[in-house]
Amino acid sequence: MKLSKNRLRECREKEGMTQEALAQKLGVTRQTIISIESGKYVPSLQLALLIAKAFGTSVEGIFGV
Amino acid sequence: MDEPARNMLKLGFGLIAIVLGLALNILGVGRTDFLFDSVGNWLMYIGFMTLVIVLLRKIVAKKKVVDERMEYVSAKAMRITFLALILISFVLMIVDGISPITMPYYMFLSYLICALLIVLLLSYKILLRFFY
Repeated sequence: MKLSKNRLRECREKEGMTQEALAQKLGVTRQTIISIESGKYVPSLQLALLIAKAFGTSVEGIFGV
Repeated sequence: MDEPARNMLKLGFGLIAIVLGLALNILGVGRTDFLFDSVGNWLMYIGFMTLVIVLLRKIVAKKKVVDERMEYVSAKAMRITFLALILISFVLMIVDGISPITMPYYMFLSYLICALLIVLLLSYKILLRFFY
């Protein structure tokens, strides 16, 4: 499955956060953040909720199908 | 299963292997022309190595992050390995039909397990690096 909307990179850069910092905050590896940003990997619901929480927005605000 | 429970399981396996190996050696059970001279010696070796690896990991190894992407890729790699097992078995059946495999059973299984571990490792690394 491919995501039609993926604003993770945009949100991260807006917050001035590095991939490493976001990965540490979410408890995943930096490669996972890279994969999600490049659209290679679709995060699970749990990770998507964590990402949304980290940016203070909803899941729909970052990802979409 | 959490980390301490897994470690206890591994330590238990190691100890049981050593005790079983000692018992087999004392009772004189098992072939003497085996890979490690006897089945008992081999079991003790496996048990000892298990204990050493578990203890070294506990003492030396750093905390490694294992996230959902790695678990996902590992599940995919296991599926590929399972398919490889079926394919290898099929090829071996044909090869055995053409020219019977005469090597000892323990050697045969050792090679098979090594081959499967290599397939698992390679498929995991390749999937992790290039596909996900």
